[in-house]
Amino acid sequence: MANKGNFDIGRFSDPSLFVLASLADGEKHGYAMMADIETMSGVRLGPGTLYGAIARLERRGMIEVVPTEDRRKPYRLTAAGASALQEQLLSLRNVVQTGLKRLATA
Amino acid sequence: MKEKNARRLVRLYPRAWRERYGAEFAALLEERRMSVLDVADVALGAADAWLRPQVTDGRMLVLERMRGSVLAVLWGWALFVVAGIGFQKMTEYEDFVQAAHRDFWVGAAFHTVVVGAVVALAAILLGGVPIVFAALRNALSEGRKDVPLLFCVPPLSLAAFVGYVLLLTRVVYPTVGPHAVHSSLNVALFLSVVGAFLLAAVVSIAAVSRAVSRTAIGERLFRFALYPATLVALAMGVVLAALVVWGIALKVQSPALFGGDGGILATHTAYTWLAIVVEMAISACVVAVALIKGFAAARTMPRASS
Repeated sequence: MANKGNFDIGRFSDPSLFVLASLADGEKHGYAMMADIETMSGVRLGPGTLYGAIARLERRGMIEVVPTEDRRKPYRLTAAGASALQEQLLSLRNVVQTGLKRLATA
Repeated sequence: MKEKNARRLVRLYPRAWRERYGAEFAALLEERRMSVLDVADVALGAADAWLRPQVTDGRMLVLERMRGSVLAVLWGWALFVVAGIGFQKMTEYEDFVQAAHRDFWVGAAFHTVVVGAVVALAAILLGGVPIVFAALRNALSEGRKDVPLLFCVPPLSLAAFVGYVLLLTRVVYPTVGPHAVHSSLNVALFLSVVGAFLLAAVVSIAAVSRAVSRTAIGERLFRFALYPATLVALAMGVVLAALVVWGIALKVQSPALFGGDGGILATHTAYTWLAIVVEMAISACVVAVALIKGFAAARTMPRASS
């Protein structure tokens, strides 16, 4: 349950994971995140969904805006965001590995 | 996507959200080739932001409450003015003028109504004019045309109303010839004037409310406006009390007039008076509740971080 508490980010939980994963290799603004997520996962996030996820993640202190004069604000992971992402990915890896193992033996 | 369309989509979001993400979100929408699905996605995102606020800026929420209270006072006062015009219309007849001269209480109550209405108008101007100037100044500094255009609506509405009245008095009446005061044609034309006035008033107040809502105005002006608004509420209370005294005094001193058909459109005087009292009482309640909420919000306003 601890994992859920840490990663309880509402209806947009998958988009939030995509955003965190996208920011794992460095800061990006919204448009770059959308392109990166599409390349990474094949999922084309809509702008409303993306910014819903960004707003929730920022509110929870998992990402932060990088100060800039540009209208397009880049975001980066915070330590809490990196930790939450790692936790979630490890959990997913267990699910994936177990699922694949079971499929192979079925 | 064009800048204008992007701005329209951003406006779907709550104010606090727009203050925080509006500029960058608009930049993203302008940069992207938007499909119908994307537009639907933005609409759903906006609905989500309204239902489950993602930006909880305490100052912004409190500011919105204070602005809402000040605008509610404006609407309550407008309703009060409509009732007041009804009272003025009813009492312009000679019988009522003579009753006011004859009886001290009827006369004193009538003059108290007039003084209270003037005080309320002055207080509305005292609190409202600085807000209008601030909204205009902010809009012009941002190069926005929507806010100045919205503030043009009240004078344009007034001009349209005056034009309609002139059309009736200069063209329609001379054409149709003399009619009995309460003939169906006269009543229809009078009701059309009342309708035109109400339409102009509603459109004007709605335009001013919209302009004020769409501009970033500091809390200081809204906080200040609550004090003239208190004066508005007090003046409205005094006018309401005076109106009640006027009716009672008229009933005692001139029962025939009070029980006659001196009301608007030859309706029963007492019923017209009662309708005006009820309308004023409703508007006074609207203003009182708005004030209580406004002061409550002002007390909870967090200190500025700077």
